[in-house]
Amino acid sequence: MARNVYNVDETLQQEFNFKHLKRLFGYLKPHRKQLVFALFLMLLASVANIIIPLLVKETIDRVIPERDVQKLVILCAVFAVLIFVSAVCLKKRIKVVNELGQTIILTMRKDLFVHLQKLPFSFYDDRPHGKIIVRVVNYVNSVSDLLSGSLVNVLAEGFSLIIVLVIMFFMDPVLTLVCLAAMPIMIFVVFRLKTWNRVAWQRVGNKSSNLNAYVHESLAGMKVTQSFVREDYNAQILDDVQDDYRKTWMRAIRLNNLVTPSIEIISTLANGAVILVGIALLEHSVTAGTLIAFLGFTGRLWSPVINLSNFYNQVITNMAYLERIFETIDEDPRIQDAPDAIDLPPIEGEVEFDHVTFEYEPGMPILEDLSFHVDPGQSIALVGPTGAGKTTVINLISRFYDIQKGQIRVDGYDISKVTLQSLRNQMGVMLQDSFIFSGTIMDNIRYGKLDATDEEVIEAAKTVCAHEFIMEMERGYQTQVNERGSRLSVGQRQLISFARALLANPKILILDEATSSIDTRTEQALQKGLENLLKGRTSFVIAHRLSTIRKSDRIMVINHKNIEEAGTHEELMAKKGHYYTLYTTQTRFIS
Amino acid sequence: MKEALKYVWSYIRRYAWAFAAALILTIAVAGLSMVSPYATGKIVGEVIGQGLTERLMPYLWLMLGAALLIAALRYVYLWIFEDVSQKVICQIRDDIYRRIQRMDFRFFDKNRVGDLMSRLTGDIEAIRVFVAFVVYQLVINLCTFIFALVMMFRINVTFTLILLIVAPFIFVLAIQMASHIRGAHVEVREEYSRLNSMVQENISGNRVVKAFAKEDYEIEKFDQRNEAYKEANLAAARMQARYIPIMDALAVSLSFIMIAVGGGMCLSGSMSIEDLVMINGYLWAVNNPLRQFGWLLNDLMRFVAAYDKMKTVAFVETTIKNPERPREVPVSGAIEFRDVSFRYDKEMILKNISFKAEPGQTVAVMGATGAGKSTMMNLIMRFYDVSSGGVYIDNINVKDLDKYKLRKKIAMTMQDVFLFSDTIEGNIAYGNPKASMDEVEQAAELAGATEFITQFPEGFDTIVGERGVGLSGGQKQRLALARALLVHPNILILDDTTSALDMETEFRVFDGLKKQQSRQTRFVIAHRISSVKDADQILVLDHGEIVERGTHSELLALKGHYYEIYCQQMGIVKEGMGEGGEE
Repeated sequence: MARNVYNVDETLQQEFNFKHLKRLFGYLKPHRKQLVFALFLMLLASVANIIIPLLVKETIDRVIPERDVQKLVILCAVFAVLIFVSAVCLKKRIKVVNELGQTIILTMRKDLFVHLQKLPFSFYDDRPHGKIIVRVVNYVNSVSDLLSGSLVNVLAEGFSLIIVLVIMFFMDPVLTLVCLAAMPIMIFVVFRLKTWNRVAWQRVGNKSSNLNAYVHESLAGMKVTQSFVREDYNAQILDDVQDDYRKTWMRAIRLNNLVTPSIEIISTLANGAVILVGIALLEHSVTAGTLIAFLGFTGRLWSPVINLSNFYNQVITNMAYLERIFETIDEDPRIQDAPDAIDLPPIEGEVEFDHVTFEYEPGMPILEDLSFHVDPGQSIALVGPTGAGKTTVINLISRFYDIQKGQIRVDGYDISKVTLQSLRNQMGVMLQDSFIFSGTIMDNIRYGKLDATDEEVIEAAKTVCAHEFIMEMERGYQTQVNERGSRLSVGQRQLISFARALLANPKILILDEATSSIDTRTEQALQKGLENLLKGRTSFVIAHRLSTIRKSDRIMVINHKNIEEAGTHEELMAKKGHYYTLYTTQTRFIS
Repeated sequence: MKEALKYVWSYIRRYAWAFAAALILTIAVAGLSMVSPYATGKIVGEVIGQGLTERLMPYLWLMLGAALLIAALRYVYLWIFEDVSQKVICQIRDDIYRRIQRMDFRFFDKNRVGDLMSRLTGDIEAIRVFVAFVVYQLVINLCTFIFALVMMFRINVTFTLILLIVAPFIFVLAIQMASHIRGAHVEVREEYSRLNSMVQENISGNRVVKAFAKEDYEIEKFDQRNEAYKEANLAAARMQARYIPIMDALAVSLSFIMIAVGGGMCLSGSMSIEDLVMINGYLWAVNNPLRQFGWLLNDLMRFVAAYDKMKTVAFVETTIKNPERPREVPVSGAIEFRDVSFRYDKEMILKNISFKAEPGQTVAVMGATGAGKSTMMNLIMRFYDVSSGGVYIDNINVKDLDKYKLRKKIAMTMQDVFLFSDTIEGNIAYGNPKASMDEVEQAAELAGATEFITQFPEGFDTIVGERGVGLSGGQKQRLALARALLVHPNILILDDTTSALDMETEFRVFDGLKKQQSRQTRFVIAHRISSVKDADQILVLDHGEIVERGTHSELLALKGHYYEIYCQQMGIVKEGMGEGGEE
């Protein structure tokens, strides 16, 4: 599972898959009525559009030369009505078609987003985030044009194609067949071009995804770029990525734009053939009048054909996007509620690892046969060398990953048999990376418990010693902060996420390097506040400052895929093992 | 609108010849498209009607020739428009990207990544559509319209003028529609941007979302944005529904006027039927462009709306300006703060800071979270400018230096480590992409990172997820440190770079740095005594002021803040040791 980066194309699916199209139409199904209504409006409008020139012709050819004033007045009245009808139809159509298209887009985007929420960390870790965003926002937008305008048009076009064909057939079957002879050639050409076209547009999709990924990431990491004065170098990369995109786009366009002219030339040839055959047949089976009328209709035959082929082309163009959208919706969430999952009832906070084996990649276990038991209210500290699996242990408690062997139980419930929501809701996790959402500080803390009152939020902030610095800001809790929390120092951000975790009032509290950037004095104050708070809660703490963890009920040294030693600070110090070495080295570095 | 057109023209101008050629081809095709109806008419009239069979083939060849020519020319001009539009948006994106890159930190504090992203992707796309499609559609319709109008005037001036009676109505409607629909499209762009930002944050913060099981809440937030975006689009559609049918009806009513008034005039004898027939022959060419007009105006306004959003970044200027005649950047690395104060909005972040760091010295900065430590460092880099006082390098105010050259002399690790989704090697070599593998390995070694990098199956080629997901805090910090060390800066700033390392690793890192024979001036921001005690000078910051300064032993003797911190850290450790039975 190689991770993807901005300048690497994601894999392509070569086969054209009609299932995607079927699925796309599936989105239309609930809106059948609206669709039929829109079609009806289109037809009504096109009937009006066919009648109007006929009316004009009639007037000029007959009514006026015959000086039939009464008929002229009647025709004008009919005309006025038709104009009115056609305008009303158009108005309705614009509304219905947009309503339809936008609703479908809304649904599809929502399906995509809801599914994204279920996907595991690995999905987000394995590709640049820009490549995910582009799917939810840009790709869905591209497909929207296809669905809203074009689809309704194409159905109406198809309908009028049939009507015209029927009329033509009644006028003269032979000439109609001459016309129809052009069809197989057109279909052949369109399909021939399709194959190349499709690959070309897939590439465009990939390149636009790459471009988006680069733009996103380089904007997010702008401060690093500026501090290393890499602006020009990055602009060069952007140019390369853009150029790549531009070239694939132009390549696709070169193929894409072949379709319409091909159809047009073939249709002109067909027109010529009709004229030739028609004139040859003149006085045998075809009258001059029929031929003239017939020629008038060939024009009406080709324009829907051209539009249909354009639509098909558009489908091909969007297929690349559709694939990505559906691929994401189909992505296996891996970690999800078991079919018979129950809600975890309010817990006490007992945690048990029962012969747990876990591996990120097959054959490379991170933890092997790990067992331990934690009583409700105990505080546990995890120490050990980098990469030994401390973070993995706590990630397993929240079931961010599924284990391969063994069982993890919370209050006796196997966590793979309860709903994720009920499990995670009862835990407060403070991650290494304290993410701040854009919004007010108040909102950010409240994220831990959405229905918390302002007082509760402030209370939590006070407990973690964040109240003071928040109040020093000009707008206090209403200060707007940004996505990465710029304006706030990392320490301040850590305190805010700490408050967030506390506000959730969890029975199990997990702190992963939660206080590394907090100064000693604040930390001391924080410790005091926490002592009361931790009573009655099970806690797991990972920290490098051994002072932070000394008072834990139990310290577990994680090493070599398992627990190397465990016990209280005193026990471990007396044991003179790994922990003792870790601890004693500290004094060496201080004095 | 004029402004938007001027802006985009300033880019198209570079391809003016190609663009003009494409426009001429467009006009040629507009003319050529009259050939086929003409030839068909002739065939109907002369060949079928009058039986002049010998004229058939020339007309057929004419038709076919015109069709081929149209196909070829259209292919060419479409290609040119696409090509120019692609080049134009590449250039625009490049310019805006470069401009954003030049912006100061305040700008990034205020603009969300998702919003900036929208400017560089979605909004630019609207400009592309304009250049590639809307322009030639406008031209082709205008040409057809004018062409037909001229022909009609030549047939019958009075009657054509009567037909044009609808023109003022269409004109007035168009003006009204333009302003309304522009507002609607601005709203669409706005909501697009909000949606993009929302999704972007959700994806970047996916770990927090999951940890707090707030998926439902996120979906709710998303629904709001998604719904609002739909609503904005529908509002724009409603504007279309309000104006376009009326404009369409007015266009169609040309035919109505023709038969009603024209009919009347013919009957009264003020116009000949032949004139009416001929005018009717051209009427479609007036009619169709008018019917298209509403839609094209809509497209045009969509472009103007996108420009309205783009211009917020297209012309933005950084407040941190480069001097006009920058002075040569000195290399010794002596840094002095002279009475520096810094204000952010209304908050005083730093107050009257003065200190001096000699070349080769290490200055440590301690202080509470949010005391202003990082801000001080950002002032050296000129990510912000001082509100009063000055930061001097070798007695030259940093404001008199070229800021890019200045930054090249300094390497800073930020407390919020940002790694790129690239290989470990690529991340370490970020500051100097041409660095050799040896240099990368050396930097990694010095930063104490080799040990864990080599544990990865793919070593230095391991791809790090965006922002360094999958690495522990300590690992990320060491990579950031290696990245800074690789560029061999004159001034090295370590902002909270070793906080997530265990003390042993930290000790080795500092020890390695110390052994390096260099005149590098170093700043170390840290909370642990172990990280700062060997510094030549330790500054203790509190609420933006330096409250204590001196060496480790001087500060201990002072028995102030520093001493207190020392006691706390030492005390805890000692206590633990004591209870363990040692010492």
